[in-house]
Amino acid sequence: MTGGEGNRKLAALAAIRSAIEPEVAAENAAKVTDGPETSIESRAHRRRLWMYAARVATLVIVIGGWQLCTKLKIVDPFFYGQPSGIVLKFRDWIDHGTAFGSIWTQIWVTMKEALLGFVFGVTGGVIFGILFGQIPFLADVLGPYIKALNALPRIVLGSIFIVALGLGTASKVVLAAVLVFFVVFFNAFQGVREVDRNLIANVRVLGASRFQIIRHVVLPSALTWIIASLHVAFGFAIIGAIVGEVLGAQQGLGLVIYNAQGNFDANGIFAAMVIIAVIALTAEWLIGRLERRLLRWRPPALTDVPGI
Amino acid sequence: MSDITKSPVESAGIELSGVTKRFLTPSGSVYTAITDVNLLVRPGQFCAVVGPTGCGKSTTLTLAAGLDRASTGVVQVGGREVSGITEGTGFMFQSDALLPWKTVLGNVALGPGFRGINKQQAKASAMEWLRVVGLAGFENHHPHQLSGGMRKRVSLAAALINEPSILLMDEPFGALDVQTKAIMSDELLALWERTRPSVIFVTHDLEEAIALADRVVVMTAAPGTVKAIYDIDLPRPRGAVQEVRFDPRFVELHQQIWAELREEVRAAYARTAAPPAATETVSANSASAIAPARGDV
Repeated sequence: MTGGEGNRKLAALAAIRSAIEPEVAAENAAKVTDGPETSIESRAHRRRLWMYAARVATLVIVIGGWQLCTKLKIVDPFFYGQPSGIVLKFRDWIDHGTAFGSIWTQIWVTMKEALLGFVFGVTGGVIFGILFGQIPFLADVLGPYIKALNALPRIVLGSIFIVALGLGTASKVVLAAVLVFFVVFFNAFQGVREVDRNLIANVRVLGASRFQIIRHVVLPSALTWIIASLHVAFGFAIIGAIVGEVLGAQQGLGLVIYNAQGNFDANGIFAAMVIIAVIALTAEWLIGRLERRLLRWRPPALTDVPGI
Repeated sequence: MSDITKSPVESAGIELSGVTKRFLTPSGSVYTAITDVNLLVRPGQFCAVVGPTGCGKSTTLTLAAGLDRASTGVVQVGGREVSGITEGTGFMFQSDALLPWKTVLGNVALGPGFRGINKQQAKASAMEWLRVVGLAGFENHHPHQLSGGMRKRVSLAAALINEPSILLMDEPFGALDVQTKAIMSDELLALWERTRPSVIFVTHDLEEAIALADRVVVMTAAPGTVKAIYDIDLPRPRGAVQEVRFDPRFVELHQQIWAELREEVRAAYARTAAPPAATETVSANSASAIAPARGDV
């Protein structure tokens, strides 16, 4: 650009600006800022305290009741385990390891399988979901087959993968990935279809290429749906890994559970369940953080609906 | 190098001749949105299109923008037949078409970004446009944090930053309250009078149409076609749109055009008012098991 033209342009813009400034200022000032309401805040605070207290009480009642019932032999601890026995089991695992090596190795193997399966499944689900959402012909042609595959109890595929891929990590990763794929795929597909037509029309007029439309409009818009599916998807990844290990493995928490079942060791099964729950909750928390980070642009909800 | 701040805009004329647009409805029948529309907007002219709900005003705009193709007839912009997205078009939608996940600055900088201008320059020019529309200091806000009027100003900046030669507006201020609408109309005129792109401004508000436009086109109820064209000979610059309403000439034009528009509005209203009564009888019938469907309503 030439300097003269640029300056002329800036001067013209400045003139328009000064012409419309008063109205603009008036409207900007009209934007309401609301101050803190102390009574509402203290009530919310009190409610939160009660909530935490009730939460702890629930845990104490359930665990304590369980311990008491098994202690009084109302429930047979041999079949249904006992909280104190579960704690002892943990100590045993930490001190002496499991039958298949240290407990940390088992946890690591299962986590690795679940995480890899999760990553592959999510990547595949997002790519295919967007592809199908963008190309209606593809969706029309392959839609019935995808639905048929989805209707299958895919857990049985685990047997095939173990036959084909062996007892190692690969078969579990593939099983977990397949389970994750469908959840993410359907959400991504739906997310792409729900994209506001106006937004696409707008960026098209602004000169966006097909790829730019996907990058700036379709993907961010579908992200709400995709991220919502991740919560469920990680659960499926763990199911895939554990079931794969139960079906046949040399290491992993699933194998530990299978082994405990064979030894009528109820406490061992529960102890492994507790570990899995901790892994799942940690993953859930991380996904929640990712969600808040990626969806920062969303207007905050007024009431915080507890996520279950 | 940059073309953002280069050269005054060359506005292009828009011409629709014998344009018909038919859609396939989800139920498989054919719906004619507009039929045999002939419309000429000279370069730099501000043309308002008024008509009853559902008369194909918006369809006309999407055809001019190249977002959709005419079933028959020819759409020309700047003397060239439209195929694909029309070069140099600015479009403002009734709903905000802002990307909610981008900041105000990011939204305004979209156009230059898509046209391959480097990020720094795109942002600088977006900042300048935000200052023009009075939103300096709001560049890092997200759209949901702004009022309706402010979002409209972001849309306006986002549309104008590409220095369009034609500006297509689909009831852009329809969702605003009356006061904000008046302010936005003034701002639009101020901005338009600087660069004078050709404008098609779709609205159902006749006062707005007369206050803003050089020419008001009245469309019939669906399937829409051009019913009458009025040249608005109010002098420019017109100043505040709230005041021009009391100009005797304005009142006269309003009466003339309204007389023309009224029948169409009534016809369209009669059509939209009929179905609820019809569905009521149907649901009453379906309550009594398998009743034969009524004939034509």
